[in-house]
Amino acid sequence: MRLSRGDDMVYPDFQFHSATRGMVAVFLKLIFLAVFGLLFLAGIVFAQTEAAPDEENCLICHRYPVLGRYDENGNRRVYYINDQLYANSVHGKLRCKSCHVDLDKIPHENVKKVDCSTQCHIKDPSSNREFSHKNMVQKYQHSVHGMGAGEPNGFPEDRPTCTYCHGNETYNPYAYAGFWGKSEELSRETLARCQGCHTDKTWTKKIYAHFTHRMRRRRNQDEIIKLCTSCHEDEKKMERHGLEAVSTFKDTFHWTLVKYDVQNAPDCITCHIPVGYTTHEIQPRTDPVSPVYKENRIKTCSNQGGIQTCHPAATMKFAEGRVHAYGTKVQLLADEDVATAKTREGEPLLMARAREEISAEEVFHYKVLSWISLIYKILIAGVIGFMSVHQLLDFRRTRKKNKKEANHGGK
Amino acid sequence: MAENEISSDIPAVPEETEPLNPPPRYFVRLNPSEKVQHMLFVISFFMLALTGLMLWLPERTFHFLGSTQESVFFFRSLLHRIFGTVMMLVCAYHVYYLIFRPAGRRWLRDMMVRKKDITDFFYNMLYLVGIRDEPPEFDRFSYKHKMEYGALIAGTTLMSVTGLILWSESYWDKFLIDVSALIHGMEAILACLAVMVWHLYEVHLRPHKFPIDNMWLTGIIDEAEMKEEYPFHYKKIMSDPELQKIYVREGLKQDG
Repeated sequence: MRLSRGDDMVYPDFQFHSATRGMVAVFLKLIFLAVFGLLFLAGIVFAQTEAAPDEENCLICHRYPVLGRYDENGNRRVYYINDQLYANSVHGKLRCKSCHVDLDKIPHENVKKVDCSTQCHIKDPSSNREFSHKNMVQKYQHSVHGMGAGEPNGFPEDRPTCTYCHGNETYNPYAYAGFWGKSEELSRETLARCQGCHTDKTWTKKIYAHFTHRMRRRRNQDEIIKLCTSCHEDEKKMERHGLEAVSTFKDTFHWTLVKYDVQNAPDCITCHIPVGYTTHEIQPRTDPVSPVYKENRIKTCSNQGGIQTCHPAATMKFAEGRVHAYGTKVQLLADEDVATAKTREGEPLLMARAREEISAEEVFHYKVLSWISLIYKILIAGVIGFMSVHQLLDFRRTRKKNKKEANHGGK
Repeated sequence: MAENEISSDIPAVPEETEPLNPPPRYFVRLNPSEKVQHMLFVISFFMLALTGLMLWLPERTFHFLGSTQESVFFFRSLLHRIFGTVMMLVCAYHVYYLIFRPAGRRWLRDMMVRKKDITDFFYNMLYLVGIRDEPPEFDRFSYKHKMEYGALIAGTTLMSVTGLILWSESYWDKFLIDVSALIHGMEAILACLAVMVWHLYEVHLRPHKFPIDNMWLTGIIDEAEMKEEYPFHYKKIMSDPELQKIYVREGLKQDG
């Protein structure tokens, strides 16, 4: 049985002398007693916290932590629901079947994936109508990540779904880190003040989490970059959509700031979804509404309207250049006459896009930079190599001379 | 080394034309102005290398500092600019020194590349591999010094120009910034490695010099070292009373 990752640990065999063995056994027994005593107390204390109303009786089965299986791809699927965690989550008020439709039979058959645009039977307090994520989903479908009027290039499975980014990890006990999940900055003090008037603790906690969650960034820069690059660094996946993998962000100075956890550090969304744009409606950079469209770049780089100080004095000359270092597309064009016989799948599309998007000037810039880099590499190797040999010879020769002098002096 | 020191401090056997028990003689290698220039350059070079190479540290190096990392980065940027300015000012003063000061003009004249440097280089290489028995007689600056000095001029010029471009990034073409960033980084690697292999060996690791050659603080070397390392310059000084006034100090303590 694999309950947690800790089970994979290999415990070393301890070897004690017979005299100490008895004492160790007593000591271990005491520790076990203490641990179980603490667990028992904790059980009493936490048993009093609220649980989700389980009107559909799903928890009859789903309360068991071992409920799950390994699917065809060997991924662990956990069907366990921790009712306390669920009650404190954004969707805590919803019944299971509001989202998991068609689950009337046991064992469940024809299980469909949850559709976030389903109308749930909960009232939106602002309009008093039934709440739904439908309008968000519709907007998203018309963005560069959405399916729009259908998938033009095939591979619909490459498109990120809602839950790809909105991983509500509180459902999964294994990903759960701490009582507040990843929101370490939530203030218990503020919450306690809310609870002074709002006596329903579960409700208050949920509303509080809902608001504060939107007041600050949910993911830090490093996490955003990890999320975006989980697809955009995948060369094969990008190639079949005619895109180049974002392997070169980490060569930029922007990344250096992220490395040092600087609050102002720019990540993907700082430039691609600045203030005034939304993630769900992101468009390709060739679209005039995109913040990285050439005409819009001064505004994006100078970040007018945002609270981050980026490049307030940015000029057009500065802003219209490449931010990410030169990637696959320019390399393809630069090597075109040398290596024409590449037959990797998807390359024709990438090549066509490259010809469309990359100007001759950019190819020239790329070539100049490559030349400088190459010259410096040769220079460094040559100069430092010569210096090392020279100094090693000098060291050998001087010591030899010293020895000779010392010998002569001795005689 | 030990025997040399004793022989120069208390010469037991008087040399041919010297009077008995002459005061120990020292030779000036760096005058006070040059010592200060060198000192400022060393400090700024070290700080620039430190704060610059911090950009290339692996991702999680400073994660244990938590939110203090941001301050670390802020002061890194600030110090890099401050010491960059110090280095550029030192270089600007050095140019002034070379042109308008007699000592500077002498420095520049002695630093010029001559035919002797090329022959010295070949003879010294032959000496190092063991074909010749004696090294060539070096003048005030040997080919080693001249190469390093040339590299320093080229390096600081490139670093200053590219550094200033990067400092005022908003006004330039992004391509120019890319080129500058590339050169700034590559030249930094070259300079740091060259200083480590060439200069730190000469003044720290070289037999007779280990652990450190104090000349950068005292500015002077004793007569034995002068004869050993710069015999040509020594002969020139000894045959010219004008040069003796400039380069020879008598009775000074080595630590002074």
